[in-house]
Amino acid sequence: MTLSPAPAGTTEVPVTPPEKAGASHLGRLKGSRSRSQAWAAYLFLAPWFIGLFAITIGPMIASLYLSFTDYSLLSEAHWVGLDNYEKMFVQDDRFMTSLKVTTTYVVVSVPLQLAFALGLALVLDRGLRGLSFYRSIFYLPSLLGGSVAISILWRKIFGVDGIVNSFLGLFGYEGHGWVTSPDTALWTLIILHVWTFGAPMVIFLAGLRQIPQSLYEAASVDGAGRWRNFRSITLPLLTPIIFFNLVLEVIKSFQSFTQSFIVSGGNGGPVDSTLFYTLYLYIKGFKNYEMGYAAGMAWVLLLIIAALTGVNFLMSRFWVFYGDEK
Amino acid sequence: MKRILAATAVTLVAISATACGSDDDSDSGGKTKVVFSYWGSDARQKLTESAIATFEGKNPTIDVEGDFSDWDSYYEKLATKTAAGDAPDVMSIEIRGLAEYAGRATLADLTGKVNTADLDQDVLKAGQVDGKQYAIPTGVNAFPMIVNRATVEKAGQKVPDDTAWTWDEYISIAQKVTEKNDGKVWGTEYNENPAFLQLFAAQRGEQFYKDDKIGMSEQTVKDWWILLQKIISTKAGPSAAQMLETGTNVDQALLATNASAFGSWWSNQLTTLSKGSGQELDLLRMPKAEGATTAGMFLQPAMYYTISSKTEKADAAQKFVDFLVNDPEAGAILLSDRGLPTNPKVVAAIKDKLTPADQKVLTFIDSIRSELSPIAIPPKGSMEMEDILKRATDSVLFDKATADDAAKAFLTEANAALTK
Amino acid sequence: MPALFRPAPRLVRHLLLIVAGLFMLYPLLWMVSSSLKPEELIFREPGLVPTAVTAENYTQGWDALKHSFGYYLWNSAVITSLAVIGNLVACSLAAYAFARLEFPLKKMWFAIMLGSIMLPHHVTVVPQYIVFAKIDWINTIWPIVVPKFLATDAFFIFLMVQFIRTLPRELDEAAAIDGAGYWRTFVQVILPLCVPALATTAIFTFIWTWNDFFTQNLYLTNSDNLTVPVALRQFMDTGGDSSWGPLFAMSIISLGPIFGFFLAGQKYLVQGVATTGLK
Repeated sequence: MTLSPAPAGTTEVPVTPPEKAGASHLGRLKGSRSRSQAWAAYLFLAPWFIGLFAITIGPMIASLYLSFTDYSLLSEAHWVGLDNYEKMFVQDDRFMTSLKVTTTYVVVSVPLQLAFALGLALVLDRGLRGLSFYRSIFYLPSLLGGSVAISILWRKIFGVDGIVNSFLGLFGYEGHGWVTSPDTALWTLIILHVWTFGAPMVIFLAGLRQIPQSLYEAASVDGAGRWRNFRSITLPLLTPIIFFNLVLEVIKSFQSFTQSFIVSGGNGGPVDSTLFYTLYLYIKGFKNYEMGYAAGMAWVLLLIIAALTGVNFLMSRFWVFYGDEK
Repeated sequence: MKRILAATAVTLVAISATACGSDDDSDSGGKTKVVFSYWGSDARQKLTESAIATFEGKNPTIDVEGDFSDWDSYYEKLATKTAAGDAPDVMSIEIRGLAEYAGRATLADLTGKVNTADLDQDVLKAGQVDGKQYAIPTGVNAFPMIVNRATVEKAGQKVPDDTAWTWDEYISIAQKVTEKNDGKVWGTEYNENPAFLQLFAAQRGEQFYKDDKIGMSEQTVKDWWILLQKIISTKAGPSAAQMLETGTNVDQALLATNASAFGSWWSNQLTTLSKGSGQELDLLRMPKAEGATTAGMFLQPAMYYTISSKTEKADAAQKFVDFLVNDPEAGAILLSDRGLPTNPKVVAAIKDKLTPADQKVLTFIDSIRSELSPIAIPPKGSMEMEDILKRATDSVLFDKATADDAAKAFLTEANAALTK
Repeated sequence: MPALFRPAPRLVRHLLLIVAGLFMLYPLLWMVSSSLKPEELIFREPGLVPTAVTAENYTQGWDALKHSFGYYLWNSAVITSLAVIGNLVACSLAAYAFARLEFPLKKMWFAIMLGSIMLPHHVTVVPQYIVFAKIDWINTIWPIVVPKFLATDAFFIFLMVQFIRTLPRELDEAAAIDGAGYWRTFVQVILPLCVPALATTAIFTFIWTWNDFFTQNLYLTNSDNLTVPVALRQFMDTGGDSSWGPLFAMSIISLGPIFGFFLAGQKYLVQGVATTGLK
């Protein structure tokens, strides 16, 4: 244990005493080094491991078990085998509706939101006075995204008497209740999602700053223009961050809940047009007291997202460039 | 490293130690702690906290802790707590949840535990499931037609005798109001509340629920939709999309913003409607179907007080419920917040304190008392009914399905939910 | 481009940004304007410019609940600050291990870490509640704060892993040659270069915890423990009479701290490698 690297004993002390730290690298025997590295890694991961086992894994396994039962929250669970899963795929039309609604939502709103966020991050990165002011302004909607007040605000915009209709009225278009019509309700939620692009924008901004300025300087010596800079420096170096945003936004959008819950009043209406997957799961679990079924839905969702994320990771080999790769 | 390991070990031990520790935080300072869960608004919270303070003043050994939640997350929270064996001692529940919670043995039988002698016995029955008094109604509501007489009269129309008016008369008056106002004021608003359909069915002698199934015929459901469609097509009322924007937000109701002459809401919402409108609003019986003998009016408990079957503080919990329903002091604080009190003695004591709107409701309910249909407790699974009905109704009103198909789908789906 | 036109694009960019900003902010402006209207005018009068201005919603809303609104702001501030510290410490530790160190089963653990982001929390909430109820943590801040110190917000681990991976390995190697161990490399080399990622984590944790209605509503039920998002919902009453004026007013007040935190934090967002002068 004495041979193990420094981090261990010194967590409370910010700076490792040099002799001790040096000691770990004196013996650069391959085996002991990788072993000491593993030890260090596990120590760095210690809080995460505790959290994983105490708070995350247990409930996950519990929910897996529950998905094979008829658990209702209010009474004991009974084993029902694959019934829940069978019902999901064979009988439940609303399950399929919710998948369709969610897929549309993800496929449309994620690329839109990311494009928006990246575009604004580029505009707001450098070269203009008052950028910090603009950045804050453009972030504001995201602060509001999950607020209860959104239900009203969205109606003020897309309602029959909303501002969109007043604007269209100028062109003689007759009002339409965008939020409450089954054909358009989902689109107002997509706009809501794109509107709250602040989180990926901030991550892009942070990512842009990771790109060494010196690269641009070198490029300008070579006489590269803006577009070429963007294509050959910014974009490639930003790919890990684009990738991160893509993976996370896909996961998050598949789990979207609050927007529909607030705007539709909790039922995914009108006529299930905004019935997000997790909203349906929530309805099943907490309103219809079919927690077993809801747990099954959660695992199906996990598999779907995991598969998509897997595809994302596979694809990333072809377009994501890491600084730590040589 | 050793220090980290030690720290980790200590933490783990500490966690497991507390895990094994006893969890009775209840009798702190010699007081019995009773948790009382309810939902509502800031106004209700203030009233409730003040009622709790009065109760604690009278019962210094009991400490009541209000567990407040907004409506949207109320049942979710309640179910989670119940599942974890951490259910509140006294729980507020409304009628759709009653069969669900009573049927799953989460509620205590209160027969003989809470004094119910003074309560309106008909209403009290609405708290019984399988002959056991699982719940005490807090108060009652009716589902009337509410009218803004001034708006009707301004359009050159008269408010007809509500003991005899028909749906056709209602629609034709409403249509004329819309016309006279160039569509700036609508004749009527309408809603998808199951209570509306329940009334409509009762006028035909059908019950919403019968023997734990849907008691209405396909035709009745279809005719109800035809009625709604007629309101829309004659412009007696606004489009479905506009109507949905109001939803259940009574403060944005067309009646509350003086944008319609008629509308149906629960009777305890008259105060809010009147406040918003600033004009005189009155309650009427619902219009009848041609040839019907009854308007189908009924009373429904606004909500219930129930006690958890797992509580260890049953005595204190019962005392608290008893205080809420029987003590005029509680009544004087809560007034009509949870419906007009079920205890006539309490009503008599607080009558003068009620708002003018509440007094109207009181008079109205007294005047229809002889024609009321009995209260039916929706069976287990009825929590979903509002959503199922709304979905079917919307699909018809938005032309996503024919009334025939939607009615069939509604009955299938509703019955499936009830037999689960 | 001719020199003559040089200033124009800049002005145009400003104009475009301002127009876009106004468009984006319309809902917020509407809310601000409504919060200043007498309550009965909010829905009767659709326009942005109030015909009558009053501070009533603010004064009323501030004192409408059991405690003054400042009390709930304080409750939220405590929880949120602890959550930020927890996430910064725990997630950066884990991220460093995933990004830079080799250890057995690394791929598997990484997949599990990602997987833990994917399960919707609605189904884990009941088992989790049972755990926290068993150890008597209901109505304490621990169910909300402790998980942050145990890096259960895997989102941020992944975020930092991605950032650390953009940093050239040579930095670590140079540090190692100077005799730095893993801990020193982490603290002295990696962390300073990760300031944007740390700022992102801090900002998001702050905002998300501040706005997190779900957990706080579930675990903090005593009326003395309520936080801002839970307190705000009390102005809403779906079945009846919502206090919209006070709701809007208090919503705007509660935006203050998160917006302030964002303003303060955003300068670190953009102060990464660029200013530390990485070669």
